Amino acid sequence: MKKSILGALVALSIVATPAFADFPQKDIQGVIQWGAGGSTDTVMRSVTPHAEKELGVDIIMTNRTGGVGAIATKYVYAKKADGYTLLMGAENPQMYKTLGLAKIDYSDFTPINILARGVPIFVANNDAPYNNMKEFTDYAKANPGKVKTGSTGKGGLSSIVLAMLDSQIKLDLIKVPYNGDGPALTALQAGTVDIMPAVLGASIEHIKAGRMKVIGLVDNKVNKLLPNTAPITETFPGLSTYLPWGPFFGVFVKKDTDQAIVDKLASAYSKASHNPEFVALMDKRGFSIMGIGGAEAVKFLESYRSVSSWIVHDAGFSKHSPEEFNIPRP
Amino acid sequence: MSAPLPRKVGELFFGFIVLAFSVFLFWQAYEISGFSELSSPGSVPMAAAALMVLAACINLLKDLARPTSIDTARSFFRVVLPPIVAIMIAIIFLFGIVLETLGFIISAFIFLLVSIQFLHKKGFIRSFLLSLLALSVIYIIFRLVFSVILPEGLIPERDIMAWIGSQFSSGA
Amino acid sequence: MMEALSFFSTSWMSPQLLGLTALGTFLGVYIGAIPGLSVTMAVSILISFTFSWDVNNALCLMTGIFMGGVYGGSRTAILLNIPGAPSAIATALDGYPMALKGEAGEAIGLSTVMSVIGGFVGIVVLAIAAPVVSDFALLFQPRDYLMLGVLGIMLVGSLSGNNLLKGVFAGSFGVLIGTVGLDPLTAEERFTFGVVELWNGISPIAVMIGLFGVSEALTQLHFMDKTAIKQKIDRIIPRWSDVKKYLPLSLQTSTIGVVVGALPGTGGDIAALMAYDHAKRVTKNPEVPFGEGAKEGLIAPEAANNAAVGGAFIPMLTLGIPGDAVTAVFLGALFIHGLNPGPLMLTENPQMFWFTVGNLTLANIFVLIFGLTGIKLFAKIVECPKGVLLPLILLLSVVGAYAINNSIADVWWMLGFGVIGYFMKQYDYPVGPVILGVILSRLMDESWRRSIILERESVPDFFINLLMSPLSLVLFISIMLIVVSKTTLWKQAKGRIFKSAS
Repeated sequence: MKKSILGALVALSIVATPAFADFPQKDIQGVIQWGAGGSTDTVMRSVTPHAEKELGVDIIMTNRTGGVGAIATKYVYAKKADGYTLLMGAENPQMYKTLGLAKIDYSDFTPINILARGVPIFVANNDAPYNNMKEFTDYAKANPGKVKTGSTGKGGLSSIVLAMLDSQIKLDLIKVPYNGDGPALTALQAGTVDIMPAVLGASIEHIKAGRMKVIGLVDNKVNKLLPNTAPITETFPGLSTYLPWGPFFGVFVKKDTDQAIVDKLASAYSKASHNPEFVALMDKRGFSIMGIGGAEAVKFLESYRSVSSWIVHDAGFSKHSPEEFNIPRP
Repeated sequence: MSAPLPRKVGELFFGFIVLAFSVFLFWQAYEISGFSELSSPGSVPMAAAALMVLAACINLLKDLARPTSIDTARSFFRVVLPPIVAIMIAIIFLFGIVLETLGFIISAFIFLLVSIQFLHKKGFIRSFLLSLLALSVIYIIFRLVFSVILPEGLIPERDIMAWIGSQFSSGA
Repeated sequence: MMEALSFFSTSWMSPQLLGLTALGTFLGVYIGAIPGLSVTMAVSILISFTFSWDVNNALCLMTGIFMGGVYGGSRTAILLNIPGAPSAIATALDGYPMALKGEAGEAIGLSTVMSVIGGFVGIVVLAIAAPVVSDFALLFQPRDYLMLGVLGIMLVGSLSGNNLLKGVFAGSFGVLIGTVGLDPLTAEERFTFGVVELWNGISPIAVMIGLFGVSEALTQLHFMDKTAIKQKIDRIIPRWSDVKKYLPLSLQTSTIGVVVGALPGTGGDIAALMAYDHAKRVTKNPEVPFGEGAKEGLIAPEAANNAAVGGAFIPMLTLGIPGDAVTAVFLGALFIHGLNPGPLMLTENPQMFWFTVGNLTLANIFVLIFGLTGIKLFAKIVECPKGVLLPLILLLSVVGAYAINNSIADVWWMLGFGVIGYFMKQYDYPVGPVILGVILSRLMDESWRRSIILERESVPDFFINLLMSPLSLVLFISIMLIVVSKTTLWKQAKGRIFKSAS
């Protein structure tokens, strides 16, 4: 009885009194930056049910797509910092400032958990006359303007990986734009494009089935899913300053959310991200589980931002210099 | 197909607006990337806007060739935009304005009540009951069955829902 | 073979799976019918909802929703002129005029039977020719997608009645609306005027609800004094002679539906519009003119959009490539349930293929059952007094627009286009081409730019390569044929006008 009176009081008070210890008292809203069926969506929908169990309330997830995730980011930023609105996003906001897409990025949020990281690779059409990075760059050098590569827009994974490569060797490639790695990988199989950088997770099943081949691994150590592919640093040692680098998925709340709430959410998502089911799922898809929060997550986010921003700036397609935002060079 | 029909009241004016709007959009489309490359982001918008300008021009010329409408300017509000339409447009726009501040339940209820009363004219109690019924059905379908989050506004639905939920769980 | 049969019948034998498929289909019909609630959204909500379920249970529910949802879009299109989903736009063109004539019951009955026939064609093609069709689908290059887009936009000719010029204006306007927002290829801002809310573009569904639903509701306000039309509800199940008569057409448009559905870049919405255009071209003497309640115009898109469901599963099951937005979410669901969707899925989980085929068949049967029951009740909706019905349509439009993306901005767009559509109708501008343009905009914009980038900005190279590829050549010739046939028609029409004017 006492409980229900208390409940009624809470329910009827429009300005809820901050009772952090009792967080959460109502359903939480999760805002996903990318569309249904995409990798961010899939990751979030497979980890969140485990976190719901820890928190004891529902987390209602909605997809707010558009503006490479900026719409969702701004939406959550406009909400109260009360922990009831979570931002479920990918790496893109870390480039907003440099690309001039928004004035906020993840430094305006508190990371709850960086769940997992993807590894970029180069994949090619089976008929392409090259099988590793060396052969590919030699071929592209010998045939300027002939090799067609898929790209996923400025600031997307493929543009950044190509910019990294560009910092080592200048190639004349035709860059065919796609709005996402799914359609681009389809085009690769259709022979519309010859080669493209993609995240391992999105292409692993096609590689296993022999519908496309791996040319290079954009990492500084061998990946256990691709034991026979040499890391790109063996061909281009100069890239080691940038690597390891890769897209990531994380859950965030607006900055200045009460620490007790952040802790509660962080502990729920941390447990969820180490749930064996989730780990197995991510493993199979070639995502490396991170499950980090707190200072560690902040450090990771800053390093990602500094590498990507400067690469994009050096490749000449940034709108603002990273210096304007005090982003240090890697 | 008989002889060209006389112009409808306001048709010429509408034609001018359409043309001006098309020209404005063409200018905006040009602003995207100019005449730079065939593959530039502005190419398709510019082509579409150019077609709009062209079609609007020819259309306006054809309209000018037609005889003037017999109606006076005042009949615009009889033929094209009768008061009933204008008032309903106003009501629904007001509904849109208060939707987020008042919240869905209150604003939709007022909207239904006012518009049914205005259009149906069958007594207040009837309108009230019809609005209540319609609103409950829509609320149940959207908010409860398909969990679409409608604007909450003044009524803290999530808190109430959590409280009802806790009543059930504590009872069980 | 026996094995395939046993997988096929898995969901038929288990009462639980049977029940879930039925439930899914039932929910699907209503999700499809309610504008703003999309199958894509419903299926993705179900992913978290069915997270801890057995994968078969989850799939039964989702397949049911998919099949039912695609069909359900026709309901509100016929009854209220608000297509429940973009794939039902073409259905509204002739379905709603039928309802206005008191033939809503017949229209729903016919569209149900034809949807089910279309659904079966899609399933049969999926069952016997999936690998062939998916290889064929991969042959399509950007220029071929461009030509598909052009084939689709030709429909402007059919949609603009006797005013082609206004139709061209409306169609171009639609294409332009479709380009608003951050360019999906370069993230360049187009027509955003610095407003962040516009980055996402204008939702085609908001435009659709506004142009169709709201503008029609406002137009109906002119006729408040007219009493509602009495609906004939004695005949719900279509006459056998009717079914037989329209069967060839529905089989043709189902084929269009399967192929367009199987292409990774296009889905049921484009399939339905192309089917409508096809019907209009092959029907020489319709009993009732198109746009005024021609049964052919109702049948063609309904058969095609349900056939596209089977089509969309083809690349998904064989290659792990989604055929449309819904199958993309299905892939996500399969992944979460640990099935590793991809080209190897059928080798690793051979039961998946026949299980899905069996399940789709079952869902299709439920569409028939749920589709044909309750029609009388639905037809009554149109008989509701206008003073109550119109506020309800407007409220439903607002809620539907809000539900698309939980955003008030979509409500404003919807209302804006409702008013624009109202004035367009007043001055004889057709609104159909606008939504056609919006739907095809992205396909045409992206494929045009990709194909010209591939040719390094050289138009001559574009045509040389076009003529070298058999597929492109076939598509190009079809476009040319349509253009030529339209021109002679146009000349005739012009001749007539000339004669009458002189």
